[in-house]
Amino acid sequence: MGLSAHHLTRRFGERVAVDDVSFELAPGEIFALLGPNGAGKTTTLRMLAGLIAPSSGSVQLDAESMTSESGSRLRSRIGFLTETPGLWDNLTVRQNLYTYARLYGLSAPDRAVDDALDVFGIRDRDRERAAKLSKGLKQRVALARCLLHKPPIVLLDEPTAGLDPENAREVRELILGLRREGRSVLICTHNLDEVERLADRVAVLRSRLVAVGTPSALRQRLFVPRVSVSLTEPAERYAAMLRSDGLADARATGRLVSASLSGTSLSTPQIVRRLVEAGAGIEAVTQEEPALEDVYLKILHSEGLQ
Amino acid sequence: MRRMAALVGKELADLRQNPTLFAPVVLVGFFAILVPMFIAVILPSVTGERLSDSSDFEVAIELYRQQAFMGTLGPEAAIQAYVFQGFLVFLVLVPVTASMSIAAFSVIGEKQARALEPLLATPITTLELLGAKVLGALIPAVVLMIGCLGVYLLAIAWVAQPGVFWILLAPRSLAVVFVMAPLVSLAALQMAVCVSSRVNDARTAQQIGALVILPLTGLFVAQLLGAIVLTVPLILLIALGLVGLNAGLMWMAIRLFDRETILTRWR
Repeated sequence: MGLSAHHLTRRFGERVAVDDVSFELAPGEIFALLGPNGAGKTTTLRMLAGLIAPSSGSVQLDAESMTSESGSRLRSRIGFLTETPGLWDNLTVRQNLYTYARLYGLSAPDRAVDDALDVFGIRDRDRERAAKLSKGLKQRVALARCLLHKPPIVLLDEPTAGLDPENAREVRELILGLRREGRSVLICTHNLDEVERLADRVAVLRSRLVAVGTPSALRQRLFVPRVSVSLTEPAERYAAMLRSDGLADARATGRLVSASLSGTSLSTPQIVRRLVEAGAGIEAVTQEEPALEDVYLKILHSEGLQ
Repeated sequence: MRRMAALVGKELADLRQNPTLFAPVVLVGFFAILVPMFIAVILPSVTGERLSDSSDFEVAIELYRQQAFMGTLGPEAAIQAYVFQGFLVFLVLVPVTASMSIAAFSVIGEKQARALEPLLATPITTLELLGAKVLGALIPAVVLMIGCLGVYLLAIAWVAQPGVFWILLAPRSLAVVFVMAPLVSLAALQMAVCVSSRVNDARTAQQIGALVILPLTGLFVAQLLGAIVLTVPLILLIALGLVGLNAGLMWMAIRLFDRETILTRWR
């Protein structure tokens, strides 16, 4: 169930924008689609939203294929936040939302609009023309619009682009709220910090899917985990001890000893225990984790080399 | 149908905020009313020369003598009726101009505001979307024309010879206004929608939509020269042709309004 892409391919003339992309979006999952500009993220989103048809492959929503016949019906179960808010500038915030509430066939459009205005904290601006809103407010109205009909599938293209930190945080909290409600969320973004905070799984797209997995799984696949222990005294003696215990790349930097966990059966607690037994005073233990940005760049770099 | 009504409501609300779109329409309406008044009433009263004394209007008197219901009119009133009725075709330009102004901006305006993509992401179908765009332009265009017609008739009742006003209320005048005008407007705005689906410049759409004015002008001139007499059967025949033309244009508009092209190629 949920939304799934099966071997999605989209060509524009000779150019292949999206090449054989498959993944599933489970209920209650936040899935992030990463990729450089022109990688096919927006095209993928548009295919998932039923706006453009794939050249080959299919999109399925709750096991039903998205076709030109079923598209209209299936689109009512999807909320799509486009890259730009795309509000009707001459209309007020309320008129914008009200029209969409009617387009989605909601039985009580006024109430749905009132609820959305409250949830997004824009009730006091509902009589203002969209053209007069700040970028952050426009984005908030656009988000309200895409969630008006309470869709089980939410596709967000750069949801926090151009927002100030406070607004961006509010949007992130809202996205986490969608997950708590059991909705599936797909985010396209360049903001890796955001992905780190939100995503259950990450996919890296460069026309084709280069990598898919949880952030920690991708880290483990690409980077060897390291442990660092901060001591109360110079660390050289302890680094030598760890090397003799089989941690070949153990090294000391001042009062810090660090070692790679690759190719050893020792775990972090066991290493700490060995240090304590050897008389070391421990101040702090940290597992060194590469930033998602490093993981992403490494994936793209290794892909570029192929 | 409800989705179409929702979008028509939006189009009308949008128009209320954009009154400058109506400037060319007001201008056309003003001249459509003023020019026949000038010819049939103002000029004779200023020069002191009656229209029936001029040999230029013999055709008019001849034409009107052939129609029994005109028998009650004197020569001067018959010529006035002839002029006012002839210029009624000119009034058809009001909804045509309005339709083109509104429709050319409707699709292109959405494109320029980047509002088309979220709209296409709703369950709305292409037929509903285009239907709403067409109705959203046609309704205000026809309302404007009825307004202009009201002013035209009031002015005629006020300044023209007795009896001319009632001639203008004859079925053939009403057929021109209420059958031919909406159909011509529909054709013009569908042409504008077709073109605006494929171009990014509203002016291009308007210029191509303006082609509709050519046959109208031809009809107007032919009528004044007495080459054509717009009888009710002829108007209905023209209307039938326009229905066919509109059906073809609707089919073409749906084919041309390619969601993918609009989303992926328009920048």
